[in-house]
Amino acid sequence: MTYDVCVIGSGAGGSPIAYELANAGYKVVVLEKGENYTEEDFSKDELAVSRRDMFTPPLSEQKHVINEYSRDGSFTRYDGEKSGWNFWNGSMVGGSSNLMSGYFHRMKPNDFKLKSVYGDVKGANVVDWAISYEELEPYYAKVEKVVGVSGRVVKHKRQEPRSTPDFPYPELQTNGVVKWFDKACLELGFESLPTPRAVLSQDALNRRGCYYSNFCGSYGCASGAKGSARAALLQKCDAKIVTNAFVYKLESDETKITRAHYYSKPGVSHTIEAKIFVLAAQAVESSRLLLNSKNKRFPNGLANSSGELGKNLIFSAGGSGSGRFIFEKLTKEQREELMRVGLFFNRSLQDWYEYEEDGEKYKGGTIDFLFEHQNIVSRVKREMYDDNGNLAWGEALAKKIHKTITTSRVLTFEVFNDWLPTDNCNVGVDENAKDKYGVPVGAINLNGHPQDLRVGEYMAKKAVEVLTKMGAVEVSYSISSSPPPNLVAGGCRFGDNPKTSVLDKNCKAHDLTNLYVTDASFMPTGGSVPYTWTIYANSFRVADAIVRELDQGFKENL
Amino acid sequence: MFEAFSPNSRRTFLKAGFLSSAVFVMNGCELFSVTTSQDTIKTLQNDLFPKAKALGVETSSYMSVILRHSRISDEDKAFIKNGVKWLNEEAVKAYETAYVKLTPEQRQETLRFIAKEKWGESFIYVMMGYLFEAMLGDPVYGGNNNEAGWKWLEFAGGEPRPKVAFL
Repeated sequence: MTYDVCVIGSGAGGSPIAYELANAGYKVVVLEKGENYTEEDFSKDELAVSRRDMFTPPLSEQKHVINEYSRDGSFTRYDGEKSGWNFWNGSMVGGSSNLMSGYFHRMKPNDFKLKSVYGDVKGANVVDWAISYEELEPYYAKVEKVVGVSGRVVKHKRQEPRSTPDFPYPELQTNGVVKWFDKACLELGFESLPTPRAVLSQDALNRRGCYYSNFCGSYGCASGAKGSARAALLQKCDAKIVTNAFVYKLESDETKITRAHYYSKPGVSHTIEAKIFVLAAQAVESSRLLLNSKNKRFPNGLANSSGELGKNLIFSAGGSGSGRFIFEKLTKEQREELMRVGLFFNRSLQDWYEYEEDGEKYKGGTIDFLFEHQNIVSRVKREMYDDNGNLAWGEALAKKIHKTITTSRVLTFEVFNDWLPTDNCNVGVDENAKDKYGVPVGAINLNGHPQDLRVGEYMAKKAVEVLTKMGAVEVSYSISSSPPPNLVAGGCRFGDNPKTSVLDKNCKAHDLTNLYVTDASFMPTGGSVPYTWTIYANSFRVADAIVRELDQGFKENL
Repeated sequence: MFEAFSPNSRRTFLKAGFLSSAVFVMNGCELFSVTTSQDTIKTLQNDLFPKAKALGVETSSYMSVILRHSRISDEDKAFIKNGVKWLNEEAVKAYETAYVKLTPEQRQETLRFIAKEKWGESFIYVMMGYLFEAMLGDPVYGGNNNEAGWKWLEFAGGEPRPKVAFL
């Protein structure tokens, strides 16, 4: 049979398409490389989830090659298997949205016109988006309702325009230490913001509300409160989902994709035919598939007449830091507040989403504050070295571990700022390295722009001020150009000019009439927030365009 | 390449056999001692973190889980096996007998000595890491007996708990 729509990848980029098209009555098939899990399958097993990476492929079977560029243009090649450098984020129905923390911020209006507002940056390929914030806003609002975003809107100088007064679901409960944070911010003149979360604070949408398990990020949600693409969308439509389906080639004629080829296991190949193909395998893998699908008509990769395919890969720049609160400096009541687990911290700062330094205007970003992850093995392992940097063991180590874990707690922060797109940061394929299917693996070429670090440093120092004001000790941070694998975008820029972009304004390939790419690949710049909300919103926007197209075709065939 | 995923494969059996088979501790051609890897690991882990035993947590048998685990690379498994061998070789070099037959002070001296070597530091780090996994992972893996590791650190495991171990 020929499906109306074939979606490749079942995460935040693909699922809104499946949900909208299936609910509009079209025949939709979703091809997912990983397996299906439901709420019943998600336990809080640290060894399986965090130490044995149960939700990502073994690197011995599927990996990337990473070429890390230096400023002088030379690079070091890392084999993903040998180095352990892992860029997988969640191979499963719903993709990595199952495992996200769900810190949901909208991009700001200026993020859509970075070049116009802030000008060119030397060595960076900054361009404006093909759409404005105003065009995406209704879809941000839709995600709040359909996927479920909880929070509380407060007036602040960086608040983006909203079409609704507040979030549809009330904010999650927070830990008492949040009061200390709010007080410190007030004294420093910073605006403390409740962090919106893609986590339901109450039963709604036929899903159960959050039960404060204490294990949110990295773990699947056992109540369905987390707005994963699976829980929020795929479980609510009748799109056919094929698991263990690794798409390795898209076949095309001169104008359109004719079929997708996938392996259900090495050597066992299948094909799917559809009127429209929607690619959303996460940024690196989407570019890899198009590059690996080159043919006589598209010798440099499908949809790549511009030569832009795979180019301008971006991550989220910034880094993280932390401070520790110790019992010695706290009252009995404060100690109890501090050690109360389960409740969220949920505070952010956006005071420096834009700032001036040395007379120059800079695009800054967001700082999210959260308690250190509760994974107990990880926390204990961090204590294995003494203050002099020597490996410790025996009774002394036991005493140190016990004191640290039972009489202190760490508050961490994460800085999100723009990872500027550059020539040496892109996706290719490495013909010398194959995965278990015999398909050339993705080559991730990495390069960070110096401004990314400068902005990250500026913001991290502001976060340090807050932690210090709160009375934390051991305050430290690390800003680097090391890419967070779960915050990846670009490679198939959208734009109005087919010579400089891969996709058009509606994320349809300029070169092919029936290929859309709806993961974060389309993003020419990333904003200074985690990507998931924007991926969801954009995918809902593209879904509307595809419905219009199919409705039109349906009418013409009457 | 999928052999390791099958619990009954010969390869897996051989890996499991590593713990109980004899380690011949040699210095050149001369046989100094015979011990088993299981004995060495048990003694080593107690030397590294006696608190586990004091809490009633058995950690060394968890190493058989690790040596069979589908997600631990062959390279990492080989490092554990080599580490056990090298530790015994260091013991022989310094004291002319296997690690388990040394006095507690001699064993600590041996650990302090190898911790200065790159392989030795890594080996101790890795072995303690697995020890903490056994002590603080979910009891479904066979360690953390009666959740004694969690109770010691006033930690409540997350709910829901796993029903089966991920191997």
